[in-house]
Amino acid sequence: MKLNKYRKKSPWILHYNAGGCNGCDIEILACLGPKYDIERFGMINSGNPKQADIMLVTGPVTKRSRERLVDIYSQMPEPKVVVACGSCTCSGGVFRGMYNCEGGVDQYIPVDVYVPGCGCRPEQIIAGVVEALAKLEQKTKDIEKSIRLDRSPQINNGQVDRREIAVGIAPGKVFG
Amino acid sequence: MATQYEIPIGAQHISLLEPLHFKFTTENEKIIKAEANVGYVHRGIEQACCSKFKFRQVSFVVGRVCGLCSISHTTCYSQVIERMMSLDIPRKAKYLRMLVIELDRIHSHLLCLSHVAENSGFEALFMKTMAYREFSMELLEAVCGNRIQYDYSIVGGVTRDLREDVARMILERLKTFKPQLDELVDIYGNNYTLGLKNKGVGVLTKEDVYHLSAVGPFARAAGVPIDVRNETEDRLPWKEVGFEVVTENSGDVWARNMVRLRELYVSMRIIENVINGLPEGDIALDFKGFPNGEAINRVEAPRGELFYYAKGNKTQILERLKIKAPTFSNVPSMVHGFKNNEYASAPAIIGSYDPCLSCTSR
Ligand code: SF4
Repeated sequence: MKLNKYRKKSPWILHYNAGGCNGCDIEILACLGPKYDIERFGMINSGNPKQADIMLVTGPVTKRSRERLVDIYSQMPEPKVVVACGSCTCSGGVFRGMYNCEGGVDQYIPVDVYVPGCGCRPEQIIAGVVEALAKLEQKTKDIEKSIRLDRSPQINNGQVDRREIAVGIAPGKVFG
Repeated sequence: MATQYEIPIGAQHISLLEPLHFKFTTENEKIIKAEANVGYVHRGIEQACCSKFKFRQVSFVVGRVCGLCSISHTTCYSQVIERMMSLDIPRKAKYLRMLVIELDRIHSHLLCLSHVAENSGFEALFMKTMAYREFSMELLEAVCGNRIQYDYSIVGGVTRDLREDVARMILERLKTFKPQLDELVDIYGNNYTLGLKNKGVGVLTKEDVYHLSAVGPFARAAGVPIDVRNETEDRLPWKEVGFEVVTENSGDVWARNMVRLRELYVSMRIIENVINGLPEGDIALDFKGFPNGEAINRVEAPRGELFYYAKGNKTQILERLKIKAPTFSNVPSMVHGFKNNEYASAPAIIGSYDPCLSCTSR
């Protein structure tokens, strides 16, 4: 399908700060700038979750921002990948155990790539996003598989073998 | 009366770096009322500093209050403890603190300026400013070892000495930055299209500043010369290294840009003077004992006056730590500055406020 090809070539980014210190956010901004220039991978920062493919999250998820985080995540169309930027996003970091924070983003939404460091360097963010591209491609393939099977269904005694089809579209394979 | 509409911006929006929520009441494109909602980033750092961390560790924790002005936070905290314990830190440590504070101011101001340019719809200028900003990040990395979150100040001094070659590199880079800054001043000051978006927009008058107690470049753009560097001499010798206050008169987005740009010249002068007149000696002080009593301290962060209050009780753990960040003082004037402006200029106005929400809500 053409659309999927271009989705891989030009993924759009959504950035949300879920309570971090801004440190990793300005490094994401530096990635968009001319020195690191993430746009050469075809990525642009879109403010709209409905057009985004990759979500960059920073921050240890404060109690007030978690509903927004889940809300924004659920508005993104499938396939989507989440990149957690920064130590405090991955595990809570220095904020772990403070009364208004939770320990990391992966308690609320599934995270595909973890980028460590406090604050994480732009090179690391770019490496994480490139990793995320591979995952995005894999997820796209998995979704396609549920529609088109690898091989044509086997016919046994003049009947379609339904077990073969069921293996092809097992839900774990599609979304996991 | 025309129909009134309520338009929200935030908590997630392309023109916002951080979760911040504004609710505008508009009438025919004009904003007649604004409400701000700033508490999305509250993490409870003050409470953790008074229960979980020892007082020598806290200077690393308060750096994580804000990534843009982390050196101001760590310095202010170190100074409040030094004040409480009557420590007199070496002169060299004071100079090195000033060096990193000013380098940090350069990167923070340029980030804010690029953000204003982007929000005004001038993408090329955003790219240009970001490109010129990279030199300050590289210098900070050379001096402190990290691009952000420097962890440079500790109670009693600083963590690293300034190497010879790094000092030379800073002076060289500043020389190449100077013509670039002249170019930026020319564009931000004289570009006609940017002027349409920035001049006369988001005005805060001198009376408003006094009335709503704004601080930082925000107040200086309206002609009020308040700057902590001008008022305190005992902890950091600002006057010695050639500091002077920069003010503008019109109080609009354009004036805020110009204040920030002209402050960069002052910062560059301070950095050159610090490196040329760097005293000999230790970089940190050995001390024993625990903080006892109360103290306050102020530091000029890139966004304005940063205030710390601490109370110790002769143990490792502080009894109380209070942080008042510059944006916290600026929230009422931020709301006021939107009034009678077009809704379309709201992103540029937000950018020029340079709000730091993670400071505000800690
Ligand atoms: S990982 Fe560190 S620098 Fe990044 S947002 Fe968290 S506290 Fe700030």
